[in-house]
Amino acid sequence: MIHTIGIDIGSGAVKTTLFRSDGSSIEWLAKRCERIRRRDPMELARQGFDEVLEEARLAPADIAYTATTGEGENVKFATGHFYSMTTHARGGVYLVPEARAVCDIGALNGRAIYIDERGKVLSYKMTSQCASGSGQFLENIARYLGVAVEEIGALSKTSKNPEKVSSICAVLAETDVINMVSRGIATQDILKGIHLSMASRLAKLLKVTGITKGMVLLTGGLALDAGLLAALQEELVTEKITGLTARNHPDSIYAGAIGAALWGAFRHGRLAELQSRVAA
Amino acid sequence: MAVADIVARCGNLFEDLSFSAVRDWKAAAPGRKAVGYMPIYVPRELIHAAGMLPVGIFGGGDQLEVIQGDAYYQSYICRIPRSTIELGLTGRLDLLDGMLFPSICDVIRNLSGMWQILFKDKYVRYFDVPQNYQDSVGGAFYVNELRVLRDELAKLAGRAVSDDDLRKSIAVYNDNRRAIDELYDYRAKKPWQAPTAEVYLVLRAGLVLPVEEHSKLVREYLAAADAEPRARRDNARVVLTGAFCEQPPLNLIKSIEMAGCYIVDDDFMLCFRWLLGDVPLEGDPLENLSKAFLHHSASTASKYDVHKEDKGKPLVQSVKHYGAEGVIFAAPSFCDPALLERPMLQGVLKKHGIPYTAFKYAENTGQMAPIREQAGTFADSIKLWSAV
Repeated sequence: MIHTIGIDIGSGAVKTTLFRSDGSSIEWLAKRCERIRRRDPMELARQGFDEVLEEARLAPADIAYTATTGEGENVKFATGHFYSMTTHARGGVYLVPEARAVCDIGALNGRAIYIDERGKVLSYKMTSQCASGSGQFLENIARYLGVAVEEIGALSKTSKNPEKVSSICAVLAETDVINMVSRGIATQDILKGIHLSMASRLAKLLKVTGITKGMVLLTGGLALDAGLLAALQEELVTEKITGLTARNHPDSIYAGAIGAALWGAFRHGRLAELQSRVAA
Repeated sequence: MAVADIVARCGNLFEDLSFSAVRDWKAAAPGRKAVGYMPIYVPRELIHAAGMLPVGIFGGGDQLEVIQGDAYYQSYICRIPRSTIELGLTGRLDLLDGMLFPSICDVIRNLSGMWQILFKDKYVRYFDVPQNYQDSVGGAFYVNELRVLRDELAKLAGRAVSDDDLRKSIAVYNDNRRAIDELYDYRAKKPWQAPTAEVYLVLRAGLVLPVEEHSKLVREYLAAADAEPRARRDNARVVLTGAFCEQPPLNLIKSIEMAGCYIVDDDFMLCFRWLLGDVPLEGDPLENLSKAFLHHSASTASKYDVHKEDKGKPLVQSVKHYGAEGVIFAAPSFCDPALLERPMLQGVLKKHGIPYTAFKYAENTGQMAPIREQAGTFADSIKLWSAV
């Protein structure tokens, strides 16, 4: 039996998970999610590490492998680092075993990852440098509109006449929104328009990965936005990839940290196997 | 000296495009001369035996803005000839009394011609090497080339270069190669103790420092790095190949390591590792240098492989010797030798079941995110999906 920790440093939050595994079973013992809010992500990583240990009543020496992902390459106390798509893929199949694609929508970019039942990445596509498909953009717009982030999804779902915004550039999209406000467009129609624009991007990314059927799991900071999920379901129809069904999971935001901890456990076993071969 | 101090010193030498260390060496005694050389290999022993300082000119790096150099080469050509011309035309290489252009590719050969036209007051030589490895054919040619070079360098230095002078220099360079071999072996054994970004800077210092000082520095670094407690990471072990001429920016090396790879072998500065093992001190020194080149030298894209079946063997051997799990092909854009050889090497790796990934760079590449992502996913694929 071993314990492993996964730390996912994103652009907006640091997520930490702690798992116990013994080869045949996996038990999720603790989790933490801390918004960065201009603080040092490295310190938040240490804080998350300490807090999950405390919750599970374990000591640092009990941890067999600490894995980082996201922007966590520089975490000094980590055993190893895995790339985001690798960890979101593994975290995705842990949360929803039937998932065959993961849409990771973070604060600064989004990516579609086509995976198999083991969580192996088969192909992926991510948004380019422009931030119009990102959580940070949506958060900015909500602030301009005077809407709390938690209200965005529910408001968007009440829209009857969505106004689409630019899906190419965050600056153009923000200008679109300012024009809409001055034209008196209802807040819910603006939000739904933004969701449709973001979902259109995600659907196109999914299409490029080559997946045609199966479950798509939303992960990352925007995964629980009900308005975005509804918009993605609509856009999958528009893009004629009706074989895909999109869903989220209450712990979607932890997918990267979950994947990191689980891959850490896998690597711990493999390294032990390699060492025993060398010793033999 | 602490490892941070040694690395800081090497970093300063690396960033100094006015070559202050060379200027200081020349100023320390009247009449001292320095001779520049480009990648991949020149017999530095000959320059040393003539009492001059060999100075490696490996381009301008990512801190030099190329303005005049772009007028001499098309913009799609690799960057090293353009930045080297820039260094020359801006007076940064005025301290060199001569310049050697080894036989690498057409671009560098053309650069030697441009140098002769642009810098008429300097000694300039295109240094040809044999592509036939029989002592009686390539050997005879090469010994003659070495003799001509020795005579010309002696003339430049204003003193004769005896066989004994040359033997002493060969001994000094044998020691330097041993020190560098120790460094490579140590890094392969404990890559977390000697990160490649540091090893690279320690090697680069050898381009501008006297060889005796460099050997000492390499050993000081080894001792200091070993004494420094550093955490071991679960990284993939890779061999990096294709970077033998134009050098990648230091940030690219750091990015590969940060992405989860330990570089356990590379071909960054082959000039230091070209000859494999000691060159004998007994007998004719020119013959000995020639035999070492013909029969005991490194393999690279610019060197002709007599037997087709030998292609890629040294790369596979390096993977095995240094316990690597994969290969990263990193070559400069437009590097004909590296990029033309790449598919052949990849074919050999495929046959041996060795995973690889490939990308191109320029010495001033600034966007590291795609390289980090590529190297990182490559490391993940090795760690998670390779057969044990």
